Amino acid sequence: MSRLSGMLAGSLLALSALPLGAAAESGKSWTIYGGDTANTRFSALTQINRGNVSKLRVAWVAQLGSLEAQESTPLVVDDTLFVTTSAGPRYVYALNAKDGTPKWKYAPEIPGDVQQTTCCGLDNRGVAYAGGKLFLGRLDAHLVALDASTGKELWKTQVVDYHEGAAITSPPILVKNLVITGYAGGEYGVRGAITAYDQDTGKQVWRTHTVPAAGEPAAETWKNDSWKFGGGAAWLVGSYDPQLNLVYYGASNPSPWGASVRGPDTSDYGKFTNLYTASTLALDADTGKIVWHYQTTPYDTWDYDGVNELVLADLDINGQKTPVGLKADRNGFFYVLNRQTGALISAQPFVMVNWAKEIDLKTGRPVEVPERRPRLDVWAKDICPNLFGGKNWEPMAYNPQTGLVYIPTFNLCMDLVGRKEERKKGAFYLAEEFDLDKPGPGGFMSEMVAWDPISQKRVWGSKEELPFMGGALTTGGGLVFHGNIQGWFKALDAKTGEELWKFNAGSGISQGAITYELDGKQYVAVVSGRLKTPPSFLGHTGERIFASSPEGGALFVFELPD
Amino acid sequence: MGQPSGMQVRPAKVAAAIFAGASMLAVFFGLPSAARYARADDPAVSAKNSYEGDAGQAATGRGLFNQYCAHCHGPNAVSPDPPRDLRRLKRSYGENMANVFHFTVTHGRPDKGMPNWTGRLDDETLWTIFAFLQTVQAEP
Repeated sequence: MSRLSGMLAGSLLALSALPLGAAAESGKSWTIYGGDTANTRFSALTQINRGNVSKLRVAWVAQLGSLEAQESTPLVVDDTLFVTTSAGPRYVYALNAKDGTPKWKYAPEIPGDVQQTTCCGLDNRGVAYAGGKLFLGRLDAHLVALDASTGKELWKTQVVDYHEGAAITSPPILVKNLVITGYAGGEYGVRGAITAYDQDTGKQVWRTHTVPAAGEPAAETWKNDSWKFGGGAAWLVGSYDPQLNLVYYGASNPSPWGASVRGPDTSDYGKFTNLYTASTLALDADTGKIVWHYQTTPYDTWDYDGVNELVLADLDINGQKTPVGLKADRNGFFYVLNRQTGALISAQPFVMVNWAKEIDLKTGRPVEVPERRPRLDVWAKDICPNLFGGKNWEPMAYNPQTGLVYIPTFNLCMDLVGRKEERKKGAFYLAEEFDLDKPGPGGFMSEMVAWDPISQKRVWGSKEELPFMGGALTTGGGLVFHGNIQGWFKALDAKTGEELWKFNAGSGISQGAITYELDGKQYVAVVSGRLKTPPSFLGHTGERIFASSPEGGALFVFELPD
Repeated sequence: MGQPSGMQVRPAKVAAAIFAGASMLAVFFGLPSAARYARADDPAVSAKNSYEGDAGQAATGRGLFNQYCAHCHGPNAVSPDPPRDLRRLKRSYGENMANVFHFTVTHGRPDKGMPNWTGRLDDETLWTIFAFLQTVQAEP
């Protein structure tokens, strides 16, 4: 039985047959960033449920010893909880998952000057675990392996020179004997790549650039030699389908944001799509070969990126069980793709979108509204969504029991104009001027949207006053958990969106929560620590966000009373 | 210790050098931040700032600021983060504001995330941006 069909059947048996790095054995732990290699962030645990979640209380708290931008998804393996902090990370902690007692801590030496080559906050989104080892990427663009029982560094590899403007902020994905990672840098003109290393030695096994060099296939999609600093950084997490042996990664915006150096600077861009930026890539896990690609935003100039996680599910499409990948793209459209072939099944806007009328189902391309494409020295005004996207890195969750995807969305718009700019190594390379502080209509700037991926329709929404709400966790207890930038951590009814419980953690919550069971008791854990850099892009709205909660750094773990 | 006598540095010369070029010394000797900036009355610096009070330059500077600086310092210099809020330059540095601005931009503060913009933005651009920043300073 495939694990995906097993999930649809609600069977825990299938989950126990998962390969290395996949979902937790018996579904009681949380051994990978997205909960499973499908990135569903669904747990079948039911002890905490709609009927009793109002009694949820703090079991223990761990101070992280680092402020700003806590974006870590903790892992729970057996009785140990692993959590990283912001700033490099400054620390990786191993804690007793029952009461928070420290077991060890890893405090790497990260050069102070990584700050200038990290675009969007000194974050780290966590570690990956397999076979007694932890793997993590760092802001100095090194990948390290740690002994999970002691925290001792086993090996360290430079993935790319961070001085170019690169950083690693997300955990790698583990497939067989490989540890696979991308890196950030689309705001500095790096050329993106996805690289696989041997888990035991740290030696490189394969590397696939996300932007072709001259003479390679798809090189003709770039004007002149613009590919050299072309971006396409795979800075978020991959997904993995063990049956197809495909690894899925998103590749970011092209560099620079301003499009005039990369093509004709018009909506009639022809061949200048700038592959494989703003795309989802399916790679053969053993070789890194690109098996298919789907570009969501050809010739991107809105920083719509393309990096958002692909959530794997098996859905009933026109009466046929179909292996799909679900993507809530920064560009505002929700894509359902056949994850075996990359074929588009459907695409509909999940937030307010006005830069494109629709996605042409024949070509797979957006039908642009030309006046909403900024050009060199020509402003485009009131573009929705803004460059944080309809959804950013904050993860969505898919619940096979409700059939719904829970998407943390933004409701913001922007003005953009292209400018001439020279690249300087290690400095921002945007070639655009922007005003992002334009709340969308309706008096809210974030919303948890419950989305039916088959009918491509919204089922319910739960609005938040300020942007940057936290990612989602959904459970067999009929719940959706998420935080917000003010620091409130909430439980909603997965079917209706009704708020059932909330707790003030005192500093903004961005990352999705996890849940696990230990000695017969279910826990829910989430990190708190308000974002600093992205809200600073927003001016007056940023001031409201800073006023709404201070910086922080703590892990909260919740339980039901005995 | 075997060093040729001609290479010896006399204390008096060091003192003179501090007054002559504090910013250069700061780079080589890592002086505390208070001593890192050129003096406010340094004619070589003040003379270049020819755009003070020029509204046209301030408007141009606003655009340049929003292109090069806003992603860290906020659109139109509206930043919620006090250490990066450039509306506080005058409050923080008073008369020395121009020199602090010029030194920081041309030397960077890598450990705070500020790159060195030498070779990317010329002095004319910097002072155009500065003309804009002068228009948004908070009251002391």
